[in-house]
Amino acid sequence: MDESLELPSLTPKIPQPTDSTEGADEQSSGEEDGGPDWTKIPSGSSKFSVRPVIPKRGEKDFEPSEGSALQQHMLGQMRSAMFDALNVPRTASNKSISYAIWIPHLRRAHVTVARGTLFNGMGHSVPRPLSPGEDDSLGEEKLHKRLELLPEETLYLIERGSMFCWMEGDVPTNIGPAWEDVAGFPISVQQAYAEMIGKDDLTLEKYQIYAYLKRLGYVVTRARPPTPFYPTPAPYIPKRSMFNWLLRFWGKIFTGIYALFSRKRNWWRPLHLGGWWDKHTNYASIFSSLRFLPAGHSRPLMPHKSTQLGTTGDTTTITSPYTIFYNLYKPSTPFRKTAPPPPDFSLVVVGARKTPMPSLLELTSLFDLLPEEPLPPPRQRHPTQSKPLPVPPVPAPTTSSVQTSTLTLGFSRLSRWIYPNWFRNGDAKVQPAVRKINPFQALKFGKKNIVIAVVDAGTTNFYRFGEGAFEEWPMV
Amino acid sequence: MPSTPRQGATKAIGRKNENSRIYAYPLPLVLEPPEPPIRWIPNALGLFGFSSFRVLNPYCKGIFDPDTKSVWITNSGDSLILWRRGFFGKGNLSRSEPSWHARQVNQRAIAGGVSTAEEITAKRRAERKQFKLDRAAALAAAAQEAEAAFAAGGSVSPTPTINIPSAATWKPSTPLVAGEADSKSPVINPDVETNDVEDIEHLQLTLPEAFFLIWALRCLGLSQSDPTAQQEMSLSDIWLSFQNIHLGPSFKSAAQLLSPPARFDNPFLINYVVYHHYRSLGWVVKGGAKFCVDYLLYRRGPVFHHAEFALVVCPVYEDPTDKKSSPFELQNTEPFSWSWLSTINRVNSQVQKTLILTYVTIPASAKYSPQILLTPSCLPEYSVREVTLRRFVPARMRD
Repeated sequence: MDESLELPSLTPKIPQPTDSTEGADEQSSGEEDGGPDWTKIPSGSSKFSVRPVIPKRGEKDFEPSEGSALQQHMLGQMRSAMFDALNVPRTASNKSISYAIWIPHLRRAHVTVARGTLFNGMGHSVPRPLSPGEDDSLGEEKLHKRLELLPEETLYLIERGSMFCWMEGDVPTNIGPAWEDVAGFPISVQQAYAEMIGKDDLTLEKYQIYAYLKRLGYVVTRARPPTPFYPTPAPYIPKRSMFNWLLRFWGKIFTGIYALFSRKRNWWRPLHLGGWWDKHTNYASIFSSLRFLPAGHSRPLMPHKSTQLGTTGDTTTITSPYTIFYNLYKPSTPFRKTAPPPPDFSLVVVGARKTPMPSLLELTSLFDLLPEEPLPPPRQRHPTQSKPLPVPPVPAPTTSSVQTSTLTLGFSRLSRWIYPNWFRNGDAKVQPAVRKINPFQALKFGKKNIVIAVVDAGTTNFYRFGEGAFEEWPMV
Repeated sequence: MPSTPRQGATKAIGRKNENSRIYAYPLPLVLEPPEPPIRWIPNALGLFGFSSFRVLNPYCKGIFDPDTKSVWITNSGDSLILWRRGFFGKGNLSRSEPSWHARQVNQRAIAGGVSTAEEITAKRRAERKQFKLDRAAALAAAAQEAEAAFAAGGSVSPTPTINIPSAATWKPSTPLVAGEADSKSPVINPDVETNDVEDIEHLQLTLPEAFFLIWALRCLGLSQSDPTAQQEMSLSDIWLSFQNIHLGPSFKSAAQLLSPPARFDNPFLINYVVYHHYRSLGWVVKGGAKFCVDYLLYRRGPVFHHAEFALVVCPVYEDPTDKKSSPFELQNTEPFSWSWLSTINRVNSQVQKTLILTYVTIPASAKYSPQILLTPSCLPEYSVREVTLRRFVPARMRD
């Protein structure tokens, strides 16, 4: 069940006994607070035959009444359901278990036997020299590609019961034909925690977030490759196309000319009313002529030298805990391990007690790393109709449409400024076609989004910070 | 007879139309289309960018009250204009619209025609309380019934025979009283009562609201609270006294020119920048202390919809040395702790509002001559940025 959550495109497997118990447990974790409802989890006797039946939950009893036989009975029933569920021996099939060996000095686990669909979103191949002694006669090192796991991946698979892991050592393992020249000893979950937390920037908080998201079926990868062999999506480089450049160039020239020829603004009279030249024929024009305060993330934020955030290689600057650590892919996103697509979400992990929320500077530097997201599709009244539509390919067409819309907007503004009355009727026709999106949704969504996971001693909270753009969506 | 849903719907639509009529103007200024002697003239002029629209400026009168850091509109006609055209200010004895007088009249007449907002709220709260009592009684009865069934035959989940009221189905059990009141109301002559009650309420404007009306729209004139000063305050006086008022009681008097040097981080300036920014975008901006925030944004106004956004103003010093030398203890200049951020966000998502962090940059004072603060020409040196905040629930984002 768990695996089918992670890769829904694959044909669903018949749930295996262990998976079915885990799957049920995870469904209840969707309801965030409170413990699992143990009556949902099948007891030992029925585990091979019956899928868990979710009983209807009744009304909450707010006031425990003393001496109520009914309440005592219900409590007893729940308690025994919990014990029954916990009593089931957790088993796993020998055929579905993977094998790996943890190599401490590399901080990687070398997977010798990879089984299951979990590896579709985990592990990466690294060329390593073959173990010494084997190819000595050739005199040169031969590279051999093999599958390796990062610390969090290893720990997750061990903890999940999907992989046996050995620690590299002197003792021969003698497990089977694949393990002839492997020496080491098996490690427990506890040992794995002690060994792997703290390696390669993996804190306990980051592992907790990783494991939680993996259990929900996300593909989670590191945003910054720990080694050059680790595949990451192509970094986002802000587009500076010729077109944009020209637009900005001409914009600057026009504003310069306008500033030269226009009267100096009288700051005691920001709004001109009542003159024969006055162009206010509706409230929209009054409001827009009041919009002279600078706003928006597009204008550069000029921080003082002492508060500037660190770029790489700069020694004098402050390093921020707000760096993107994980890339997140929804279970439905087609994911190729060797060529990861741009992530669905970018994730920062911080500790709740040590770190305050990000400052504006930290947020701006995070937004600078992210591409502009297209607006979410308008909420459908009839969700059944939207089902046959394929997931729209995201970036390319939308960015161009955004560009054209800002261009037309700019043009219409310019022309409205020159001939206010001319465009009055035209506007009414054009505007609704351009703005089919609910402005509230656009305002709430923002243009760029960063997800920050806040961990407080194992309790996780996720927040989404969006780059707001109220100035682009005037209400009048 | 209780009203059917259809009747309720038509009533709601009627009220909506009525509100759209009363609150038709988004600003106190009214634009009046001209009545042309010859039809084609305005169109021809419009072609060249001219228009002959007339702007009707109500030009209201206000009194500056330094003690409450507010501006009072004592003329009830002016208060009505400022409230109805753009929802400026609040009645000092009311929740929002200055309705104290109407409430008094209603109370004396017992059953007046139109209830004020406060009366509607009080009625709703009383009904809600009754509903909770009814529900608790029904729940207790159902529990007793189940207990009895269990004791009798050991059945755990009998079908309950008692109907437990839900918020959707429960109806107040006193429609008759309301009906009587309706039939009575024409009998009472409210005019007699009205004359007895003197309207002692005034509309109070916050300083950013007042300055927006005075400076940006030029539809409000201000005089000193001192009755001997007959003259209206000059714009420059207003500008300086609105800033000085934040420096403490000794700088209350208006004309006192900047004995301490003016500062970019004056709370009035920061609040005004935020207020003006959202007003100029067409939002109706009201205070939001009730929801842990600084401002609430309404799309058309509080009578139409609930506020959509809750703003927390976070000033950001461009130069941190300005912060050290500041006499003002500005709030929210440091990032919040996660627990506080979570608190504000919870409160606001509970009431269907989206939390917005509004960052206002405070220009580095070293870059400018102090003269710039003597006029509003310093305002474009500030800048406003929004960051929207929502919880991200991974379990719900999987698609």
